Amino acid sequence: MKRELLAIGIVILILIGLPVGVFIYNRQHTNPDSPERLITIQAAVPEAGGFQPSAIKVTAGETVTLRFTSVDVTHGIAIGPGLGIDLGHVDPGHVQEVSLTFEKAGTYTFYCNTWCSPDHWRMRGTVDVIDPANPDAAPSPYHDPIIEQLVEEGVNIDANTTMDMPDHPQPDVLRFDQPASIEQGHILAASLVIPTELADTEWRLTHTPIEGLALLENNNPSISMSDLINVIAYMWTSDTPPEDIQWAEEYYNKNCAACHGQTGEGNGPAADQTAQSPVAFADFTYMFGMRSDVLYAKIRRGGMGTDMPNFGTLLTPEETLRLVGYLWQLAFKDRPN
Amino acid sequence: MSRVQKSFAWMRQHWVILIGIILAIGVMTFPIPQITDPQTRTITLDARQFEFAPHRIHINKGDRVIIQFTASDVVHGFYLDGYGIQERVEPGITKQIEFVAEHTGKFRYRCSVSCGSLHPFMIGELVVGPNEPFWRAIAFVIVSVITLIAYQFFSKGTSYEHATLGTSPA
Repeated sequence: MKRELLAIGIVILILIGLPVGVFIYNRQHTNPDSPERLITIQAAVPEAGGFQPSAIKVTAGETVTLRFTSVDVTHGIAIGPGLGIDLGHVDPGHVQEVSLTFEKAGTYTFYCNTWCSPDHWRMRGTVDVIDPANPDAAPSPYHDPIIEQLVEEGVNIDANTTMDMPDHPQPDVLRFDQPASIEQGHILAASLVIPTELADTEWRLTHTPIEGLALLENNNPSISMSDLINVIAYMWTSDTPPEDIQWAEEYYNKNCAACHGQTGEGNGPAADQTAQSPVAFADFTYMFGMRSDVLYAKIRRGGMGTDMPNFGTLLTPEETLRLVGYLWQLAFKDRPN
Repeated sequence: MSRVQKSFAWMRQHWVILIGIILAIGVMTFPIPQITDPQTRTITLDARQFEFAPHRIHINKGDRVIIQFTASDVVHGFYLDGYGIQERVEPGITKQIEFVAEHTGKFRYRCSVSCGSLHPFMIGELVVGPNEPFWRAIAFVIVSVITLIAYQFFSKGTSYEHATLGTSPA
């Protein structure tokens, strides 16, 4: 009889003690003073589901910790736009964590920035930051003055070249038989007559180097064509400061080089998997007929049917322009030939 | 017979063994001069699931090796046994690995970043030649075998028969 009571006592102790113990353990290991949320996001190749969860809701001002894990191959984690967060690689079996406080309501995107599969560019997830004062507010429509300007002008952003626009001077292909030299252009630029519109950064943003070359040629008829090309190469690469170029190079290598190639030859390891061959920025004949604002629009909006993903949800307009600046570097920078 | 005389007599009887031992020590320690001039070798090494291309690299001792390391599908790694070199490569970004091949032999390089189900089998070989320990061992075995055969030939009817018949030579 006594033993039976003892047995019942033990069973009751287990039944009550276990939940209580778990509860106390939980209380001790989640510090009640910081109401911080921990969200674990599991990364897998997009064919196997991508990020899970891929949509997160947080309130503005709330601190959340995002913990990324990987289940198959190495992924790279970055969050944008404008946050400047790049957690680097997350290997299978390892975690990467970041604690964030979103001050402003809006939508942010976390994305994989290391080529991980043929569908790598689909690997994205969103963080919806809700304004606590107005939780049901719809996101405001997105305005991009540069793209709106292009649409107004009637430029076909999907076209492979902007040279077929009306009034655009046609290039003489033979002029572009040797790479341009930015350094020589820099030296020469001081001694040339530079037309006022050509000296204007805004003008260069919306015109092709060929248009600039035609202007320069009219004003400096005695200078040889290869020298003029060097000056144009210098002018189109001079707008972006070196530290921005450095940032853009790093971003380009992580996000663009897998298709477009590290040197911009359009020959990255994934180049044969895309619907259309990636554009070669190193081909400066192509770049001479291209406009900065069109490149900007192509990066931000993506390419219809080309498999070029949109980067408008990952980059701020300023960051996109830095990237465009790096594309001009790829086109004109001196390469050993 | 004095001790010295005894050993001389032994030597006269077993001189083949003595020559064999001297030769064997010779092949194991003889310094081999560097036959080939050290070169700089640039190798393009591509990693993909789940193989290296090329999966075998032959170089000579003293060569300066520059590996242009690329990945074709996912992030891969490179770990070279014996040299302890480790590098990781992302698709699209070429990594350069430089080292001087100081140790001869056959070393394995393997993927050091978990890259999928068959990742443990992603292995290649770096052969740094001439493979001195290997050829010395071969020479040692050949010398030993020849010595034994010669010993049997020159001392026929003495030690061999006693050994097999189990009788004492006295």
